[in-house]
Amino acid sequence: MSLAIDAFTIICVAAGVFFYVAGTIGLIRFPDSLSRLHALTKADNLGLGLVALGLLPRASNFPDAFKIIMIWVLVLLSGASAAQMIGRALRRGRR
Amino acid sequence: MRFGLFLFVWLMIAGWDPKDLPVGFIAACGACWTSLLLAPQRKWRLRYAPTVELLIRFLRGSIVAGFDVAMRVLRPDMHLAPGFVTASLIASPSYSRDAFCLYQSLQPGVLPAGAEGDVLMLHALDTGNPIPEIVAQDEALFERAVA
Repeated sequence: MSLAIDAFTIICVAAGVFFYVAGTIGLIRFPDSLSRLHALTKADNLGLGLVALGLLPRASNFPDAFKIIMIWVLVLLSGASAAQMIGRALRRGRR
Repeated sequence: MRFGLFLFVWLMIAGWDPKDLPVGFIAACGACWTSLLLAPQRKWRLRYAPTVELLIRFLRGSIVAGFDVAMRVLRPDMHLAPGFVTASLIASPSYSRDAFCLYQSLQPGVLPAGAEGDVLMLHALDTGNPIPEIVAQDEALFERAVA
């Protein structure tokens, strides 16, 4: 059972790191600021979600698991809100 | 009720140490006051079946969006045709519409960049995709979920 949990954590966290790296490559390779926002919001959101999912079985109690979920939810909401605001500002700046 | 919920979240995050409780009360009061200030004029009523459908669509869309970006950045040509597209919105300016834009910003290939009247401006990674149609489907489901 412990081996299965370890394997689950390793797979999920490794997949999460992959998406973080992909988001960072997007930040470098994408041609303009608005496209880079896609890389930062979407790939990182999935990366953090997978890292959080991988860490959930390792939480020793309910508050620890709740904290992990709350971190993901708050980063998700703040990242999506900030990306929209930056996108709006960039669009207005282009006019 | 609202205050209790915020205090519960704070206690779960910060822990149950009695010496930290005053800070928790202040934080919960601040959160409660802010949420009342920003509360929508019209009360939302969630319909369960469309909300579950929306959540499933959101999760699927978030996963697809992450894969979409990852696959593009790893391809030599990236397959990008970035630009702005517009989509008509049913909802008038409201918190419900803001929530829909938040939802939309985590969907594949699109990023809301403000609205002008009833038109939502979206930045797309590939303008060749049928984005207005997808946004219309999403909004119809969102409107069904949040009555």
